[in-house]
Amino acid sequence: MARRLDAALELLDRQLIGNGGTLAGKVDDLELTDPGGNLEPPRVTAILTGPAVLAGRLHTPVGRWLARVAARLLAPGQDQLSRVPFDQVEAVGASIRLRVAAGQLDAGAGEARVGRLVGRIPGAGDAA
Amino acid sequence: MRLSELLGAEVVDEHGHTVGKVHDLRLVEEGPLLGGVGPGLRVEGLLVGRRALGARFGFDRGAVRGPWLLEAVFGSLGHEGRYLPWGRIRSIQARQIRITGTAGDLPSPEPLGEVPLHRKPAEGSWWIRK
Repeated sequence: MARRLDAALELLDRQLIGNGGTLAGKVDDLELTDPGGNLEPPRVTAILTGPAVLAGRLHTPVGRWLARVAARLLAPGQDQLSRVPFDQVEAVGASIRLRVAAGQLDAGAGEARVGRLVGRIPGAGDAA
Repeated sequence: MRLSELLGAEVVDEHGHTVGKVHDLRLVEEGPLLGGVGPGLRVEGLLVGRRALGARFGFDRGAVRGPWLLEAVFGSLGHEGRYLPWGRIRSIQARQIRITGTAGDLPSPEPLGEVPLHRKPAEGSWWIRK
């Protein structure tokens, strides 16, 4: 019998784990593709992760403002989202394990930049 | 299309009455994935309702187990959620979904099976690609 799951309840906001065991962000959105382009039942084709994706979920002026903030934190031209093809998902559960390493995700560079900014705050080195 | 474009969208029946908002998408395992390995996931339908908070925690789906206090609170509100099979969607535009038929035609969502809210990570992986 085919297994069923509810996307927001069981996939959205789950932790992504790269194949080396490194944290790789969260499931911020899912890409759905209509195979025939005619309102046929869409398939989940990718997991989207990154600060701009998360901000875009809000559909409000605050969300648009957060998206602009996210864009300014990233270097110009840098990808603000990572698209992980769904065939790169190895296991779905309390977290989602990927076949790819966290470093291969485009949004990982943005998170690293934010990490460097946070690292300059006095006392940041005390964080566990 | 993104999941976030559907979540929160208003569902309107053929008479122009609001059915509610989209709280979730029910997916069914269906493989193989486009050019990949293992089963993919296809959207089977939408979970629609008027009360968002209980739905966000899954309490509109009947089989979700959680803290007894939350179960009691959300259980007392009743399960007014509806299941909208994808085939009844006529159009999706500007965060509004128009459907055939009326809200009264829509069934209640079937439980997924028991979905504990506090699942341990070790036992939580229900689907592993070989």
